[in-house]
Amino acid sequence: MSSEIAPGAPIRVLLAKPTHDSHDRGVRLVAKKMREAGFEVIFINFLMPDEVVRAAVDEDVHVVGISASSGGHLVIFEDLLAGLATAGRDDVVVIAGGVIPPGDEATLREWGVEAIFGPGTNADQAIEMIKQRLAAISP
Amino acid sequence: MFNEETLARSRELGKAWHAQYGKLVEKFGDSAPERSKSPATHSGLPLKPAYFPHDIADLDDDLIGAPGAYPFTRGNLAAQYQLMHWANQPVIGYGLPEDTRNRMDALAEQGMIGYFGQRFYNLVYDLVSHEGLDPDHPAARGRVGQCGMGVYSKADMDRLFAGMDLTQMNVIHITYYQVVPAFAQYIALAEDRGLTPDQLRGNSMNWYHQSAYVGMSAFPPRQGHKLAVELINYCAEHMPRWNTTNFFGYGAEEAGGTAVEEIGLMLAYGIDLVRACIASGLEADQALPRFGFQIAQANDFFEEVCKIRALRRIWATTMKERFGAEDPRSMHVRIHTHTSGVSLTAQQPLVNLIRTTLHAFGAALSGVQAMEVSAYDEAFAIPTEEAATLALRVQQVIQEETNITSVSDPLGGSYYIESLTNQIAEAALALVDEIEAQGGYVAAQESGWLRRRIEASAEHWRELVDSGERTMVGLNKYQTDEPPPGELFALDPEVEEIAVKRIEELRANRDNRRWEQAMAKFTAAAEALASKDFADLDGSLIEAAIEAARADATTGEMMEVLKGALGWRAPHEF
Repeated sequence: MSSEIAPGAPIRVLLAKPTHDSHDRGVRLVAKKMREAGFEVIFINFLMPDEVVRAAVDEDVHVVGISASSGGHLVIFEDLLAGLATAGRDDVVVIAGGVIPPGDEATLREWGVEAIFGPGTNADQAIEMIKQRLAAISP
Repeated sequence: MFNEETLARSRELGKAWHAQYGKLVEKFGDSAPERSKSPATHSGLPLKPAYFPHDIADLDDDLIGAPGAYPFTRGNLAAQYQLMHWANQPVIGYGLPEDTRNRMDALAEQGMIGYFGQRFYNLVYDLVSHEGLDPDHPAARGRVGQCGMGVYSKADMDRLFAGMDLTQMNVIHITYYQVVPAFAQYIALAEDRGLTPDQLRGNSMNWYHQSAYVGMSAFPPRQGHKLAVELINYCAEHMPRWNTTNFFGYGAEEAGGTAVEEIGLMLAYGIDLVRACIASGLEADQALPRFGFQIAQANDFFEEVCKIRALRRIWATTMKERFGAEDPRSMHVRIHTHTSGVSLTAQQPLVNLIRTTLHAFGAALSGVQAMEVSAYDEAFAIPTEEAATLALRVQQVIQEETNITSVSDPLGGSYYIESLTNQIAEAALALVDEIEAQGGYVAAQESGWLRRRIEASAEHWRELVDSGERTMVGLNKYQTDEPPPGELFALDPEVEEIAVKRIEELRANRDNRRWEQAMAKFTAAAEALASKDFADLDGSLIEAAIEAARADATTGEMMEVLKGALGWRAPHEF
């Protein structure tokens, strides 16, 4: 359980992208920028959302970011959020990036996705959001 | 190229120009944009602010040549668009086979046309098929018919092409790694309709190397390479009119590659592939005439034009000199342009129409054979019918209103164009040498070198955009507060339900004995392929795949066999 971040410990982020969604140029750059900002970043490609849940729990991350640019994102987030809750890790901050149609944003937010970074977003915006969000629970 | 008198005069003019230019820079230089001081292409090649005859004095006349003459810098054929336009090849595919068919018919009604009245259908498969799954797999949920058509069997092929004469069309099957099942199912359908494979025209992707640049599950590169050669062997014998392989330069560019990298990588893979084909017993002239290229057309207008001209030149010279190709068709680079998706923005999306028009215009000036123009709403969702029709109109306006189709290679002979074409060709050849020194393209993919190289370019591009050095209108300059976009495409939720029901019915109703026998043979052929050398390849895997497709084997079932036999994994740890 890592709902608190020990003083001086790095923020741990899991970034994940569906295996068949080849548009990963953005998320890999985000991973690099986050590392430069001092985060510990794990990156995986996944077929099933439960792989993400498992990695999030095993790696004890504070944030999970899903990059989805080819549709099918609603099911991923539905299963991911349910899986995290079942694993007792609904404290994990879940964010989204990629091509998420504006019409789906309200649904995702309602489910608990805390931020959606669409096309053209600067990686620094995501980094800033995470820092501020986690500052609240960091002693 | 020019006589001494012309060159002397050119140098004089150049000197006078330079003096004047220098004065202007001195006067306005402080307020002038950075690019005026050290102009360069988006690939980073240095440019001069003006060009003169002496800039191309060292260029061998023969490297420019004539349209339709070796080395084909100026175009594959003597006639470019005078006798027939380039083919309209918009990417089509979503939902059920019937949904995709509706869009095919709608665009055909709007004038989408291929060569000499034939139709080209550029059909993309869905995410489920790309992953090598069937719609009833748990990982398929929410992805059936997304970003492509849900076609998973011979029966689905029949729904897609209901009532159509397959001999009167050219079908491009846009797959990732499910090349073999899609190809086999199409052939099996044709046989059901009384046709033989040699009567079919179209393209397979046969490109197993997208995972060189992007993190996606794939066959190990060498096994994929063998699958490609296997299909080429089958077609050499049975389908001489089928275009076997699509060199997916577009994928390299979209992943971040520059113009130089895009064409350098395509030539490097071409060398590896022709080598492998020859090792399998084919002549260069048997394999090469059926290769095609999907190339991006992006924002640096002249560099993108010259990239196409340079690719034609370096491909022809390499295939002739290195592999002894003699058939001119072996030296031709047949290009299907895909206007760059990564250049488009979600901000102020209508501006994308202007960008795609410039991309398509550049492609037309370079003399490509076919075009897909991206839809302006691509950054949000699958294009609506309105957006897809507008993208077709971009092609039609250029084809039929501008009169640029009257003259072959209209930019040929420009000092700038010829100079830049040469620069790009030399830079791409240097990259090819670098890859060859590592053992070739597939080796450079296995080592991760290609990935790192493309990723470095992607990062550089993003830094330029973030810093504002590279303008993207609406994104990092001239931003506005905009209302959310209007009508976007949304898939009918019934699609998934129907697709699942159909696959269950197919499994329940097919001749199970025949299916089992065919799958056993296909499995044996796949396992045999896994340990074969190139010299042993003979097309037998494809024969077995066609038999499985005849027996109603689905994409997921056939891919499971191939994955099991050849291996399947995400190639890049990160």
